[in-house]
Amino acid sequence: MSLKVKFAIQVNASPYQYQASDSAWHFVMSALSSGHEVYRVFFYNDGIYNAFRDARPPGDERHIVERWTTLNAVHDIDLVVCVSSAQRRGLLDASVAEKVGGYQHALADGFRIAGLGLWMEGVIESDRHIIFGA
Amino acid sequence: MIKHLVFIIDKPLHGNVKAQEFLDTILMAAAFDQRVDVVLVGDGVFAMLDNQQPEKLDMKNILPVFGTLSLYGINGVTVEEEALKERGLVISQLHEVSNVMPREKVKQTMSAAHHIFSF
Repeated sequence: MSLKVKFAIQVNASPYQYQASDSAWHFVMSALSSGHEVYRVFFYNDGIYNAFRDARPPGDERHIVERWTTLNAVHDIDLVVCVSSAQRRGLLDASVAEKVGGYQHALADGFRIAGLGLWMEGVIESDRHIIFGA
Repeated sequence: MIKHLVFIIDKPLHGNVKAQEFLDTILMAAAFDQRVDVVLVGDGVFAMLDNQQPEKLDMKNILPVFGTLSLYGINGVTVEEEALKERGLVISQLHEVSNVMPREKVKQTMSAAHHIFSF
């Protein structure tokens, strides 16, 4: 008999510079393929850099942003970017960008920008939370 | 179901934005009516030292926000007794810290919690 665990995941580091977002993605993939549930992935602090649509890594490197987009498309995992972390670092939701005259297409497909409440709700709803990146 | 969430502070607060974003998480946990403990361990005791001047680093002083935790039903901040002693500090030098807890008890609190957070 195997125990099904529900996870809430937080990513706190920018991609490429640290392994945190790779580790988080690998963890999520493994958890799903082992029959566990991932309730939500929440991008906080510098983790919001995982959600920039215009990331263009060299062709022979893994595309971290696209990995998340695909995760959402294939497994319907909720990818939430913290609104205050994002705005502080220049990542704006299209509607906000329109209002303040910012760039409206920054957010990659599959992500949504919302508040910290969704992280706490995810923690409360899940059996375990895991935070990747200091 | 109300969960027991323990927030561990093990470093000073100012110098980058991380502590501020951590504090936001604490406040959010409280807003969700969870049972919340905030514990200072190790160098975390420096976090609540009085008379800090983060304005000199162009940082917002977030210390006063800890004073509002009681409004959210959080019963003050706890400090680990040994961490205080090892650094030659006494509790009256700390801001908004109301409880002292021996290291052994901190361990027990952590192992009994549903979720543990640090930054």
